[in-house]
Amino acid sequence: MSKLTLSDDVRATHGSKAPMLAMVGGALVLLSGLLSWSADSTVLDDVSVRFYPIGAQIYIMVMGVTAIVLGVLLRKRPAWMSPGRGLRILGWATIAFVLLLALFAIGYETGALANLNEGLPVALVGGVLVLLAGMVTPEVTLDVRRWPKLSSSLEIVVIVVMMAFLLFAVAHALSLESWTFIAFLLMLVGVAGAVLGTGIGGYLGFVGANNRRPLLLAAFLVAFLFPFTQDGSDANMSIATQIIIFAATALGLNIVVGLAGLLDLGYIAFLGTGAYVGAMMSQSAFATIGWKPPFLVVMLIGSLVAATFGLIIGSPTLRVSGDYLAIVTLGFGEIFRLAMFNLDGNNGPKLTNGPNGIPGIPDLNFFGFDFGESHSIAGFELGRFANYYLLLLLLIAFVILVFSRLNDSRLGRGWVAIREDERAAEAMGVNVFGLKLLAFAVGAALAGIAGTIKAHVDTSVSPDQYIFLESAFLLAAVVLGGMGTVVGVLVGASILKLLPEKLREVNDYRLLAFGLLLVIMMRFRPEGLVASKRRQLEFHEDDEELVALTQQEHLLEAQAEAK
Amino acid sequence: MSTLEATNVGHQVGHKVVLEASNVTMRFGGLTAVNDVSMQVHDGEIVGLIGPNGAGKTTFFNCLTGMYIPTEGTVKLSGEVLPPKPLKVVRAGMARTFQNIRLFGNMTALENVMVGRYCRTSSMALTSVLRGPKFKREEAATRERAQELLDYVGLGKSAELLARNMPYGDQRRLEIARALATDPQLLLLDEPTAGMNPKETEECMHLIFKIRDSGLAVVVIEHDMRFIFQLCDRVLCLVRGALLIEGTPGEVQSDPRVIEAYIGGSDDDDDEEGTK
Amino acid sequence: MDAFAQQLVNGLTLGSLYALIAVGYTVVYGIVQLINFAHGEVFMIGAFGALSTWLVLFKGQTGLWVLPIMIIGAIIASVVTAVLMERIAYRPLRNAPRLAPLITAIGISVFLQEFVRLFYGRVPFLDFPDAKQKVPFPQIDVVTGKAFEIGNVTIQRSAVFTVGALIMCAAALWYFVNRTKMGRGMQAVSQDPDTARLMGINVDRVIVVAFAIGAALAAIAGVAQGLQVTNINFKMGFLAGLKAFTAAVLGGIGNVWGAVVGGVTLGIVEAMAVQFIPGTFGGSPWKDVWAFALLIIVLVFRPQGLLGAKVVDRA
Repeated sequence: MSKLTLSDDVRATHGSKAPMLAMVGGALVLLSGLLSWSADSTVLDDVSVRFYPIGAQIYIMVMGVTAIVLGVLLRKRPAWMSPGRGLRILGWATIAFVLLLALFAIGYETGALANLNEGLPVALVGGVLVLLAGMVTPEVTLDVRRWPKLSSSLEIVVIVVMMAFLLFAVAHALSLESWTFIAFLLMLVGVAGAVLGTGIGGYLGFVGANNRRPLLLAAFLVAFLFPFTQDGSDANMSIATQIIIFAATALGLNIVVGLAGLLDLGYIAFLGTGAYVGAMMSQSAFATIGWKPPFLVVMLIGSLVAATFGLIIGSPTLRVSGDYLAIVTLGFGEIFRLAMFNLDGNNGPKLTNGPNGIPGIPDLNFFGFDFGESHSIAGFELGRFANYYLLLLLLIAFVILVFSRLNDSRLGRGWVAIREDERAAEAMGVNVFGLKLLAFAVGAALAGIAGTIKAHVDTSVSPDQYIFLESAFLLAAVVLGGMGTVVGVLVGASILKLLPEKLREVNDYRLLAFGLLLVIMMRFRPEGLVASKRRQLEFHEDDEELVALTQQEHLLEAQAEAK
Repeated sequence: MSTLEATNVGHQVGHKVVLEASNVTMRFGGLTAVNDVSMQVHDGEIVGLIGPNGAGKTTFFNCLTGMYIPTEGTVKLSGEVLPPKPLKVVRAGMARTFQNIRLFGNMTALENVMVGRYCRTSSMALTSVLRGPKFKREEAATRERAQELLDYVGLGKSAELLARNMPYGDQRRLEIARALATDPQLLLLDEPTAGMNPKETEECMHLIFKIRDSGLAVVVIEHDMRFIFQLCDRVLCLVRGALLIEGTPGEVQSDPRVIEAYIGGSDDDDDEEGTK
Repeated sequence: MDAFAQQLVNGLTLGSLYALIAVGYTVVYGIVQLINFAHGEVFMIGAFGALSTWLVLFKGQTGLWVLPIMIIGAIIASVVTAVLMERIAYRPLRNAPRLAPLITAIGISVFLQEFVRLFYGRVPFLDFPDAKQKVPFPQIDVVTGKAFEIGNVTIQRSAVFTVGALIMCAAALWYFVNRTKMGRGMQAVSQDPDTARLMGINVDRVIVVAFAIGAALAAIAGVAQGLQVTNINFKMGFLAGLKAFTAAVLGGIGNVWGAVVGGVTLGIVEAMAVQFIPGTFGGSPWKDVWAFALLIIVLVFRPQGLLGAKVVDRA
């Protein structure tokens, strides 16, 4: 991003104007929410009326308020904050927000840009001012030793507030449709990015790291309560189950990519292996294997078969690494898909029914609890997908447990060493090949378990669900979210699965946007939205400021841990 | 550490043969990089390996550490033939440092040393996920041992620093600590004082004496003659892949062939270290 | 025997196509050690460039004289795409960790496919067909039409065009690499980029030229493919690109002649596999599986390729 900032000279001479710019810009953005945006009253839930802000107009007002607050903070800057950086992010987000809504939500949807009223242009001017404010702010070095010291009970309050905010944001986002949803998402990314980017993000990470247990507990409580907010409706729960399956698989991939530093372009095959095992051993009339053991056994077999494939696909790492390994895994992934497509009895043994796949997989039934039925718990109605959602929540809890415990162990240190310097690691007695294989096997086993459940959620399995593009999507979730982090992958998976569901009108463009997203992420933020600190350092080897900051943060964390 | 002139006088070498390389020859195609070199190292002994650039020191070194498999000859550690794999060589009890420092830069000093404990610990995936008492004990022991080693090399206060942020001399010492973490019988140091100032060199020498005194065998490759003649009990000089002379520092220092090799040998230099 | 000769001809044709695309992988790899995963899309865009040229200038014409102009149109489309790709996406990542350019390449690949699929039929003022399905490719006199019969062996006219194109391109490439200043500059950069820079060679330009050469050959392959299969689609680059990459590795990546040898070898192996692998695992349903298996075997066991002139440090 360095090219997008101004020279130090300009900043030195005009830096003092930044707070004023930010506040004026913020005020304009705030004001724009009260103005009319469109002459056509049918788009964005009618934004044509003046002084009656709704939906996207309220969102932009939140952005305006944020800009004003950051401007005030610039005046009296805490030593551990950099409001300028927040203003830059907010400025870009506001401009993107305005342009996207003006050109597409209003211009494209109503058929004419002439429908555009004064509101958005005012906001654009405001956004540019906010961006300018960020750009002329002198660059500062953050002093994290000045972080506010909170008592541990206050820290937990911070976490609870964060979680409550998260639940509210998710519930609100799910109630929105099409362009209003996009507007909300842009606002969220802009405001959250701006607030966290000022240095609050690092601080919250610090607080979270100090209170790992309460944080996890709160997160799972929020996730657990989610289905009870849906009034028995299955629409959102269906999306939620897909997100969890996707996220669990992506977390498995993150062991390979994020921890071991290997690229796997055929990962969807492991999910597919689990799904096919689940389908072939299910009660379905089309199941090709006569043996129908209980589901827990199927799950175990699915994970073992997937792990075996993981070992096979991982074995070339003995001789191959880097780009070549990526292509080898891609080859294996394609072979899996083609084999599933072909094994219909005419070409090879009859295992998969070929392109038709295995349909009619019945719902799970645990000790008389039928996942296909609606159940009423404490007055709340839980539908089919809500049942599966709760089961999948257990799965992803398990996956997260495996991921984070492996990361924080002897094996995790070995993986870091391999990423840093493979030959030195080997010369220090680290079993490089063994660790790489382990990453493949564990990741594959987790994806395999997810696959067996997926077969029952989807009720059918077919080869066209396991194409290369799906592997690319999994990789994108890891890259977008953050290599080597759990939260990152959860965020990445949610965004990638939620967007197409919410944007049916522009669904046709989702792959285009997806391709572009990969390119842009690699160019500007290769470590992902929620970055692992170590990964961030690896991607920015010569950023001395980042090194110094990370060092200071680490020292503080070590201190807190010693206490 | 008070005396500036550290010496090796009055020190008693052990009787156990730790390392025995017999008739090691290494050929690359038609080029013979190492030709029939034999060497013995005892416990509590420091052996120096010198020679002009291109003499085959690093190649010989790589034969010892399992990076290369010698074309002919064997390398034995405590009587056992060394397996030709770096990983197994470390497990057998031989640890090394690198000429151009190869620390894990984005890990802290403590974590670097903990990686060195990898081959002496055994928690696998299941243990790590279940976190039973054995895992916790082993993890605590690893951490404790790593901190001990940092204290031992004088970096106790730097445990939480990222390796890349440490001063050059400290990085060298951290590498030694990391190597010691593998519980070696024999420590191989590849130019441990390269790039150091005289004070750091002096401290490094004391550290090596301290390691020697704990009973380890030490092999050092160096260019700094003053350093090597003060440090070592015995010195081997390689020229053009072959052993020119072996003896006490005094003998080697005064041998006219050694001086000639250094002066005359520089015109056909081929810096093999650079292409490693 | 006839079956063998027929498959030899088929394999040679297929192999020539792979070889033309493979040169692009190998030239770029030889200079920047980058696997341009999106090269298959450059090939696809070449085919669409040729089609567009024909639709705009010669719609309805089938004379042989339009072919060279179609080829030029294809080359322009491919080269512009490849050069932009290098400039915008790859160049900023030249010192980034290995993972970054590879993921970028996947992004570009998906983006280009979707771009063609979504917008080809919507170019303003031009009446282009919708590219969401297969699009018919123009058939040209002399190079398409009634096949030659030699004994019982059928040789398509387009096959002759493809093999001929490979021979001419190989000759031109040989001249360029060995006899021009830029070609020698390329050799120098591939040996040692830093020294080459010190010697006053403009490394950035050499890299752009490498991308452009690969793109031009891929464009010709795109035309050949269109003539052979009689239609083109936005997905055609994926599999062709992967197979061409296999060919490049098979021949020794970084080695231009290796790409040619590897391409032809792979084509013949594939054709023979379809014909001669017996049982239920044979025949065309499994032919891509065997191609991928070959890819894996080559990458794992002979990453330096058949000719193996260049040591591959990554393997």
